[in-house]
Amino acid sequence: MLALTHVTKVFGSVIGVNDVTVELGAGAHGLLGPNGAGKTTLLGLITGQLRPTMGQVRVFGERPFANPRVLRRIGFCPAADLLERRATPREWVRYLVRLSGFRRDAAAERADRELDRVGLGEAMDRPLSTLSKGMRQRAKLAGAMAHDPDLLVLDEPFDGLDPVARHDLVGLVRHWAESADTAEVPRTLIVASHLLHEVEALQAGLAVILGGRLVASGTAGEIRDMVDAMPSEIRIRCDAPRRLAEAVCSTAGAESMRFEGDDLLVVATRQPRELAERIAHVAVEERLAIREVAAGDRSLEGIFGRLVRLHRGVGS
Amino acid sequence: MSASDAGQADSSFRNALLAPTLAVTSFQLGRLLSRQRLLLAALGVIFPAAVMLAVRRTAAEGLDRDLAVTMIYALVPEAVCMLGLLVTMCPAVADELERGTWIHIAVRPGGRRALLLGTYLAAVIWTSIVAILAAILAVVVARVPQPLPLIGMLAVLVVLSTLGRAALFSLPAVILPKRALVASVAVALVVEYLAGFIPAVVNQATVSLRLRSLLVEWMGWRQKLPVEMQLLIDPQPAWVQIAAVICLAAVLLAAAVKILDFRQFPPSVEI
Repeated sequence: MLALTHVTKVFGSVIGVNDVTVELGAGAHGLLGPNGAGKTTLLGLITGQLRPTMGQVRVFGERPFANPRVLRRIGFCPAADLLERRATPREWVRYLVRLSGFRRDAAAERADRELDRVGLGEAMDRPLSTLSKGMRQRAKLAGAMAHDPDLLVLDEPFDGLDPVARHDLVGLVRHWAESADTAEVPRTLIVASHLLHEVEALQAGLAVILGGRLVASGTAGEIRDMVDAMPSEIRIRCDAPRRLAEAVCSTAGAESMRFEGDDLLVVATRQPRELAERIAHVAVEERLAIREVAAGDRSLEGIFGRLVRLHRGVGS
Repeated sequence: MSASDAGQADSSFRNALLAPTLAVTSFQLGRLLSRQRLLLAALGVIFPAAVMLAVRRTAAEGLDRDLAVTMIYALVPEAVCMLGLLVTMCPAVADELERGTWIHIAVRPGGRRALLLGTYLAAVIWTSIVAILAAILAVVVARVPQPLPLIGMLAVLVVLSTLGRAALFSLPAVILPKRALVASVAVALVVEYLAGFIPAVVNQATVSLRLRSLLVEWMGWRQKLPVEMQLLIDPQPAWVQIAAVICLAAVLLAAAVKILDFRQFPPSVEI
């Protein structure tokens, strides 16, 4: 469905995407990364808006850049807010569907149906300028989906939404992704976000991008396994963290240590159980008051945070 | 979804380019109906008439017809058309980038081409309507004898002016979208009003030469013109001038479309 091979995109002296190789099949995929990681550039390459400086992008087996055959099958909801003011959602979505090559009557029917589906049925004749950001976001989503694409690409689709709107749109997109299984042509959903819980809610495969590089990909479980192979962090809060560090550093399992504040020692280890036992011994022998021993964050958010830190060379 | 219930997008010329282009034209004309743009249009309509009224009042023995026609030509097919196109054609891409709508359009199969061609048509229609109304009002105010044939001639010159110059302005619009207005003014001055008045091969590729030549031809002024002024017009028949403007517009538009096909606008949020 979609393959990027050693893709690099450079803007002057800025590297947007750096040597990315990934293959995505049908189904839902989450593209995760902090702001400025290169997600939008990567989506620009996938949706045929940008041409790779190096490497090859293939969507449906063809190069997407300036290729109407590929673009006809893509629906894209960009991150930037829609600043079209005078038009109503109905006019805007009809316009976009007509630009996809549909006749006026077909465009009208599809636009109305999609606006109903995203919950803008009541507000579709109000100027976009009078709508809330959440409603404009729904209008953007309707525009991306109304021509029934085989590949739906959403860039930060839930950004800036209130919790209710976010919940509604997550449900809507998840429904689209789930219906991909029953569609005549296999469909693919790519959602770029810097918020992990949104992507987790979509039950999507994950690709993590940092500094323009793809640093991890797979299911949430696979990424956890990958991270498990890396040192995990134990956080120990005690009254004398430096004395504890001195005693623990002789332990084979401790790979790195750092202090946070006056009372927190963070130790990276691949043998957390052994380390915990050692800490217990040291605490008794040295009469240290251990107030808290906590394993690193096992949630996807925690894993993401660790990947970010590893990428930046912190705590590895 | 079956092919019959809501129609299928296909790659025929009608659906791939013509229908999207007309959709853009209609959408852009809708945008041009804003209060601000309508005020500009009203100014464009009134301005030449106001000038002609002032001139007529200062001319003690009434306004000479040839002088009145020359002035209306300079004010309407030249000035009003240029200004109208600067407002409507130059921001073809820049407006979309500013509104955040460019990416929505560019990701559609014929979106880039339809945007340029549709905006071109909208600019030509809007500017032509404003300029033709301006010409009618100016002719009426100037009390030019036999106004109807004159209005007809001015209408043709207006349409040719907008067709040619909108195509000319489409190049800065796609090459330098964020500086399109300044670049278009520079292009207008250098190409239309500098190269256009050089009596050499270079002026053959300008709209101003064709319009001047048509004006001289249709007003029957050729014999009256001094020899040195005849260097500034093209002696070929009217149909050649009209064909030249249309060909020039087609070539410029084709170049602009090709350039826009390959333009990349980096996501500013990322870099």
